[in-house]
Amino acid sequence: MKISTRGRYGLRAMIDLALHEDEGRVTLAGIAARQDLSLNYLESIFSALKRAGFVIGTAGAQGGYSLARPADQISLQSILEALEGDLSVFEEADIGSPIRAFLKQHVWDVIDREVENTLYATTLADMVKRIQLQESSAESSAL
Amino acid sequence: MKLSTKSRYALEGLFYMAIATLDRAASIKEIAAETQISPAYLEQIFFKLKQFGIIRTVRGARGGFLFEKPLSEITVGQIIRAVEGSLVPVKCVESLSACTSKVRGTCISRQVWVDLSDAIARVADSLTLEQLRNEWLAEQRGGQAL
Repeated sequence: MKISTRGRYGLRAMIDLALHEDEGRVTLAGIAARQDLSLNYLESIFSALKRAGFVIGTAGAQGGYSLARPADQISLQSILEALEGDLSVFEEADIGSPIRAFLKQHVWDVIDREVENTLYATTLADMVKRIQLQESSAESSAL
Repeated sequence: MKLSTKSRYALEGLFYMAIATLDRAASIKEIAAETQISPAYLEQIFFKLKQFGIIRTVRGARGGFLFEKPLSEITVGQIIRAVEGSLVPVKCVESLSACTSKVRGTCISRQVWVDLSDAIARVADSLTLEQLRNEWLAEQRGGQAL
């Protein structure tokens, strides 16, 4: 059970974009520097995110990326699905035996629902709030 | 976020034992035939389960595998951990030093992976083989009544 680098880096980049959106268009070079990610890799991830309608890219000197929808309307579930494909833990193979079918229904599908509920309920806006809260509590504890 | 076939097969093999061979030792050959899993692969998986104290072997003509502890004490979470090593989908959840990023100390996405691992563990650690066996038996009885 693994989340690929594509899913991990892509989600991190999207949270970074949401965090810096109010500063104007966000460049991939900026995300790469802040998040210690390869620019080449980010370019390929963002072309997928653009195609999937999560971000809007603008070319030119003032160019960069912005979210295609408000951050509170983008769930983590939708981003990860766009980057990873179906998130279920069960490989859609043949449901051969009655035992396999039973366990899919009573175990693997139950895990999937719990994962889905968690990721679906969390939006990019929630992540921004959470991170800002952590930062402000870190600052006050440093005083 | 697929589980490897190891987890699925481990659970299928143990579940077969739980519903069909609780009163005797089950051979790899039998379990493999009933679950349609390759005997050689199943044997590797069962070796891990044995190492983790979930099952034990008995030698002899009627030898095979038995549960090492009561079904009520065996959870899906234990089984997955025994064969996969871990339940977490991203390594940093268990150990931040597994991450090689320069910014890992202020990572903005780790909490997502922690939440995700918690969600998986909530389900996997609450499901026991005993519960699954009871549900199976109830469904079988229901089916017969129709």
